[in-house]
Amino acid sequence: MTMLTHVLTEIREAQIPLLSAMLLGGSAAKVTRAVRVGSVDAGLGPTALFPMRLRRRVAVSVCAAEFVCGAALIVTAGRFGRGDLATGARIATSLLFLVATCALLELRANHPDVGCGCFGEFSTSPVGGRTVIRSALLSAAALSTIGLLPLQAPHPGADAGRLLGIFAVEFLVIGALSPELGEALVRLGYSEPCELRRLPAVRTLAALRRSSQWRRRAGLITAEVPLDMWRELCWRYVVFPARLGERQAEIVFAVHLRPHRPVIHAALVDSATGDVLAWPTTPARRGVIGWLIDRTLGPSTPFGLRGTGLAGSRDGGERERRGEGPADTDTDADAPAAPAAPAAPAALGPASGLPGRSGPDAEHEPPGVAGAGAASACGDQRAAGLLRIPAGMLAAPTDPGRGIPAIRSESAPPAETPGPQQPGSSKSASVQPAPEQPASGQPASGRPASGRSGQPRSAGTPGSPVPPRTPPDDLPFSSDL
Amino acid sequence: MGPGGQSGRGGPVLEVRRDYRCCDRFAGTATTARTSRRRMLKAAVFGPQDDLVGEVSGQKARRRPPTGLPAAGQLPRALTGIVHDVSPHVLVIGCGGSEQRIALTAGATAWRGGPVDPAGLQPGDQAVVRLDRSRRGVADRIWANIGRVTGVIVARDAHGLLIDEGKTKPRRLVRIPDGSAGRIQVRFPNLEPGFLIDVIGLKQSEALEARIPGTSQPVYPVDRLPTPPMVSGHAPTTIRGSATWHEPFEEPPGLLGVSYPALDPEAGCAEDPIGGGTAPRFARLPYLAIGSMLQIRNDCTDSACRLPVTGCAAIARLFNDRCVTCGTSPRGRIADLTLASFIALGGELERGCFNATVTMGR
Repeated sequence: MTMLTHVLTEIREAQIPLLSAMLLGGSAAKVTRAVRVGSVDAGLGPTALFPMRLRRRVAVSVCAAEFVCGAALIVTAGRFGRGDLATGARIATSLLFLVATCALLELRANHPDVGCGCFGEFSTSPVGGRTVIRSALLSAAALSTIGLLPLQAPHPGADAGRLLGIFAVEFLVIGALSPELGEALVRLGYSEPCELRRLPAVRTLAALRRSSQWRRRAGLITAEVPLDMWRELCWRYVVFPARLGERQAEIVFAVHLRPHRPVIHAALVDSATGDVLAWPTTPARRGVIGWLIDRTLGPSTPFGLRGTGLAGSRDGGERERRGEGPADTDTDADAPAAPAAPAAPAALGPASGLPGRSGPDAEHEPPGVAGAGAASACGDQRAAGLLRIPAGMLAAPTDPGRGIPAIRSESAPPAETPGPQQPGSSKSASVQPAPEQPASGQPASGRPASGRSGQPRSAGTPGSPVPPRTPPDDLPFSSDL
Repeated sequence: MGPGGQSGRGGPVLEVRRDYRCCDRFAGTATTARTSRRRMLKAAVFGPQDDLVGEVSGQKARRRPPTGLPAAGQLPRALTGIVHDVSPHVLVIGCGGSEQRIALTAGATAWRGGPVDPAGLQPGDQAVVRLDRSRRGVADRIWANIGRVTGVIVARDAHGLLIDEGKTKPRRLVRIPDGSAGRIQVRFPNLEPGFLIDVIGLKQSEALEARIPGTSQPVYPVDRLPTPPMVSGHAPTTIRGSATWHEPFEEPPGLLGVSYPALDPEAGCAEDPIGGGTAPRFARLPYLAIGSMLQIRNDCTDSACRLPVTGCAAIARLFNDRCVTCGTSPRGRIADLTLASFIALGGELERGCFNATVTMGR
């Protein structure tokens, strides 16, 4: 008999932390919901029983009452609450659950489609028998704690084990009576489709700037802030201004809305005409070994990679921003083009070519090499920027560990009308590898041939027979019908 | 007087807001050009997407009319203007600075708060004319002074209801005449602040005189919106639901476009909830942007065409109603069409909606 009394006392004592946890948890869930939704009374079920003007106050009162009762139960559980204070807290808690039980019964009868809101957004399913029984049991549990002596820590061993067992059984019972548990488990395993997923734009931009696509194209980009950014379904499109020699262009990145390592496509578009432009030729990736050799031996390595650059790459871009203009605009067409255009800094270092982001590599380069690099871009600009090719072919998915396949035309004969030679062009030719030498394994045919004889000039360029391409069908109006 | 309204001697005064702008509203040519450019840039990456994903199986797909951007002669054309003169055979309306004479045939019908004879229109009425599809100068149907208010009831007093139509539009005053009160209250039993309303009626100088309920009122107030269902896998690209129309506000007249209920929240639309919360949408619509192309089909008439997204349907996404124009549509408003595009797709303005299928490209 004494043993039974002892166990019953332990069961009664276990109710206090349990009730407190339930109350504080419910209050926290409601507050979380209110903060997320922006409304205190949104989603709180029993407030539906009150007139609209009173709902907010009722919701706040319920939330506050739960918090106060939960905190008071814990505070008065020990010696501090001995006497009337503890009894008052326990009576208030039992009354709260009793009122809640009655409210749930009323809600079930009058608003059968409304959830109880006991645990915020997890309690959206209509009030059922389990919810009502849970509330009634909690009320009874609170009543059973009235008159208990201050709680003491259980003795290690059998007492502690028994207490743990009581907690486990009670949690199982409450779990069985809680429809919120199923809802929480469903949400835990739920993955929202990418079309419906909210992903901040900053994360998209961060993922883009970490990508190999960005590193490869950064040399062409002339501004850090995108011109435009929008989303359709699973893709977010980010447009940056770019420069390809003298040509104003735009690079559009399509970034898949995936939190980690998103697939990224990119295309280069002429700003004026809307034509899709060929990418400037890029070197094959040299990997870590090439990078180490380059770093170890310095810029005058036989690979000739440090000095090469594009018109829009860091070196060329710096020059243009300084007002020197692209030193490479009119390189002799017969001069060998730069097959290894954006070169190692763009491919291996941080994003370059952006205002205010001149990296250490640029600073350490000898002026002559920098000039040569800038000059070499001219050949790229003339060769790569003037070919119209299918748009789909340009969109190269980002595949970590794989190079971006550059689209190149067939080998073309030398230009009939080479442009005026610039002072830097001959120097450029002298430091560039011969075009026939496939640098880093790049095929000779990889040299872009557009802009040369036999190739149509791009639409919109001066003297072009092709009319400028206008944007696609404009907004339709009823008068068109 | 509830919050949001100002008391005046003549009753509630519309609280005029200064900032009506959406993130990208088609108010000017700059936005238009930008939108066209978006489509071009997207095509540069993925290639032109002429074929929208849709159902391709079954007889229905075979008998579906060819779809594309609206072309001359395919869809009925809407004309909006002020009635200058009307006779049994000719309607003269002013469109901007010009006048247009439209022939009235025996088959032409008109609406002015209810069915009327076309000759019964009054000079000064604002008319929306649906022209005959094959005969350009012949009126098929005329709506005079038709207006629609869709929004949240902000305040109610003896003079009417003050309605909030979203942050990008000024609040509207709705008066319900005694003759229409019964008809409207059957469908809208809760004409209290916080509940949604959608009524069609006659535009007056200060208010809309409600005549017809545009839908059935959702049972929930806007602060107690039910949770939309969870979707697993990929969101469908073909969605069925209700397509409605809205009165033009800062929209070019005659614009063929659609306001979409699920614009990308990152675009920072003024319609988005304060604090950046996710706006509820009952049809789980994928996020799109201004300028995205949608293929919209009127399931009742099988008319279909591609339309650009031209605005955000801030209020439409709060409704989980069904359209019952032909059969019962699934719940949720999936498109809020401009007046011209609603007419072009065969909708009858006084009905408020049609059952629609929206298809979007991947």
